[in-house]
Amino acid sequence: MILIKKHIPLFICFLVGVLTLGSYYVPNVHSENYLELMNKWENIVAGFAFLLGLMSLFTSHFHKISRKAPGWGYSLFVYVGFLLVVVPAVVSGGKPMIGPDMTSLGWIYRFVFTSLSGTMFAVLAFYIVSTAYRAFRIKSPQAFVLFAAAFIVILGRVPLGQMMWDGLLSWTGYQVTDVIEWLMSVPVVAGRRGIMIGIAIGGIVTALKIIFGIERQYMGKD
Amino acid sequence: MKKIPLFLSFLFLSSFSNAAKPTAKGAPNLPPLSGFTAADMPGDAGGTALLRWNSPGEAAEGALVEVHASSAAGAGWVKLAEFPAAAKLEKDMDLPFWAWRPSPGRHAAAVDTSSAFGRPAGEQELEFKLRLVKGSASVETEPARAVINGNWFNLSRLNNLILMLTIIIVFFWTVSHAKRKGLFIRRIAGLDAIDEAIGRATEMGRPIFYSTGIGPMSLVPTIASTSILGEVARKVAQYDTSLKVPHFDPIVMTVCKEVVKQSYLEMERPDSYRDDTNFFVSQDQFSYAASVDAMIHREKPAACFFIGHFMAESLLLAEVGATTGAIQIAGTEQESQLPFFFTSCDYTLIGEELYAAGAYLSKEPMLTSTLKVQDFGKAFVMLAVAAGAILIAAGAMFELDALSKVVTQLFKAY
Repeated sequence: MILIKKHIPLFICFLVGVLTLGSYYVPNVHSENYLELMNKWENIVAGFAFLLGLMSLFTSHFHKISRKAPGWGYSLFVYVGFLLVVVPAVVSGGKPMIGPDMTSLGWIYRFVFTSLSGTMFAVLAFYIVSTAYRAFRIKSPQAFVLFAAAFIVILGRVPLGQMMWDGLLSWTGYQVTDVIEWLMSVPVVAGRRGIMIGIAIGGIVTALKIIFGIERQYMGKD
Repeated sequence: MKKIPLFLSFLFLSSFSNAAKPTAKGAPNLPPLSGFTAADMPGDAGGTALLRWNSPGEAAEGALVEVHASSAAGAGWVKLAEFPAAAKLEKDMDLPFWAWRPSPGRHAAAVDTSSAFGRPAGEQELEFKLRLVKGSASVETEPARAVINGNWFNLSRLNNLILMLTIIIVFFWTVSHAKRKGLFIRRIAGLDAIDEAIGRATEMGRPIFYSTGIGPMSLVPTIASTSILGEVARKVAQYDTSLKVPHFDPIVMTVCKEVVKQSYLEMERPDSYRDDTNFFVSQDQFSYAASVDAMIHREKPAACFFIGHFMAESLLLAEVGATTGAIQIAGTEQESQLPFFFTSCDYTLIGEELYAAGAYLSKEPMLTSTLKVQDFGKAFVMLAVAAGAILIAAGAMFELDALSKVVTQLFKAY
């Protein structure tokens, strides 16, 4: 049992990991074919896994409805929405139903799904305001630095603020755009690159841990 | 009078002969292209030829060079590329010094042949010729033959390979070292707070939400997140608290089910494990965010974990969690999303802390030892940045272009 549950998966992980790592250095057509094959397998597995996902979705919402859990009414919309999308698509057979060139699926995607997604994305704007309010409360010297930088950058990006800053800075010979450019291209980039380097090194080490079977919590423990 | 038709006939014939061979030697303004060679492009997957020729000089100013190729079967000539005659100097080729030695006064072009002739798995024999064109005048080279095939090693990535091998050697050295003695690990506040968060949820009788983000299982942060989930699930099982893990990717859901189940088994609480702890929500980013937001809003969890790969939904999730008063711990490899987590969450795992979390929580010697590789890596990067900055500055100050070029190419990804 331990052979099937531990050794074989670890060997597959090692083999695929080493081959994929090696394909970066081997530009041969066999290497490209291997990567393409892996992508195809991933798509096939993802296709079957989606069925599992769908079953999980329906089951969890069914339990919510049957147990009358708080907000169970929303769970009904999962089934209603699913049927509203799938039934017209199946009935039409992929042919246009609305006008000469629009399928029912296309109509739902364009006029319902895109609008709903846009709404969610638009909510971000409000959340950014509330987050910014929380971030700019000066509680420490670090928070003051953050506030000062944001005050210069945000205000300097709008025409009225730009005029105001340029008026204030006129005696120095610099414009606010110069200050913003320096802030964005020196301290901001330095901080971001520091984080990115840490992330890259951490990612490499984690990948090695997985390839060589040292990190194997993702497959359950021994 | 008899001489006039003869003269006209001579004129007609001479013009005809020029029209039949317009590219041959009838272009007095254009110099011939000499030293033309064709070869396989080294370090590629096939389907690219490397053509080299001598500079035609200033006489070819404003002229264009056309590259023509023909298959060995003699199916006619096909024009593959066209560029100004002054362009494509050998020194401008984007290859490092250990893979490419440019000659002064020579031109070189890597020409894609796959679009016209395909890319067979084996060798491919093609003939090439160059045509120098300026206005109506043109000269062309003698055809050169080349055998094109895919290579087994990309020499320009040698620097990357050496670095990778060094990392692997250091990796194994630290792992073997760890077996003998343990290592000191600095405290990571975000991970220490996990106990606090789970304890709070237990006291309040509210659930814990854990999101692995929207990354697929092939992403390293998602794998790191499953490791942290395993440790969180162990503590959840120990305290008998409710855990909810909404998923974006069904494959990640399947893996996480196994991880959580295993954690409950290890804590000898299989009776507490529920199969619907991990559940699929949606494979659309904003649908996922909307659904998880709604659940957080309704169920008012005591703690939220957002650990994995996040994009725009990071703020949507974290801000809603903050409004419910939940203690929030986040971590992502997306540095563009980190500011949102900083401001909305109580603790944020920055950069490599996300990858160190599994080792930090499990305290397994083998895993903790690998953290040292990260430290060595950071030390190397710091030294390399400092040395590189000094050398490039010295190169610029003393006008040592070769030094600047060597340093730049050593650290460049090809």
